[in-house]
Amino acid sequence: MGCDVVTVSTDTQFVHLAWQRCEKELAAVKYPMAADPTGNVSRMFGVHDEASGLALRGTFIIDPEGTLLNSEVNFYNLGRNIDELLRKFKANVYMKRKANEVCPSKWKDEGDKTLVDPGAKMVGKVHEALQGELQGA
Amino acid sequence: MNDVPVTTKLGHKVPLFELATYDPVKGDFSKFSLAEQLERKRWTILFFYPADFTFV
Repeated sequence: MGCDVVTVSTDTQFVHLAWQRCEKELAAVKYPMAADPTGNVSRMFGVHDEASGLALRGTFIIDPEGTLLNSEVNFYNLGRNIDELLRKFKANVYMKRKANEVCPSKWKDEGDKTLVDPGAKMVGKVHEALQGELQGA
Repeated sequence: MNDVPVTTKLGHKVPLFELATYDPVKGDFSKFSLAEQLERKRWTILFFYPADFTFV
């Protein structure tokens, strides 16, 4: 889908190499592992923990024009859900093509119900719009 | 070292940056460049985590 995933921590690329070659769980990893030892890129996204010098679990979606469209930050002890990341990525790609549509919370993939041209007629009538019962929607 | 970046807000352009990388596919060092991503019209997902040799 024209997307590149890059993992980032404040470790150097040398440590990334050593970790990926040592840890068998990472044998299948294909993503470039980026080094942010100064923490400056982590700060750019607001995930640098100044107390520890480490990056929090932040995930960011940037479109092909360089605009930040999505951010999710978890504290140290909560892992991320890849299905939810994929859902948000697909929704952003879809909405890039269909600028007059918005994806509701239950949207999962192309073909699922969207809201088209949300405007005055939909105010207070989102339920009807989601059911396809809104006149003229 | 006074150029501490400002946090990028949603809907705003991310300042161009580059990072050194280790590329497991090539087994070699490389670099990530946001400018190159824009030239190639690619989406980017950045995935931050605290530290290597921990339990991601």
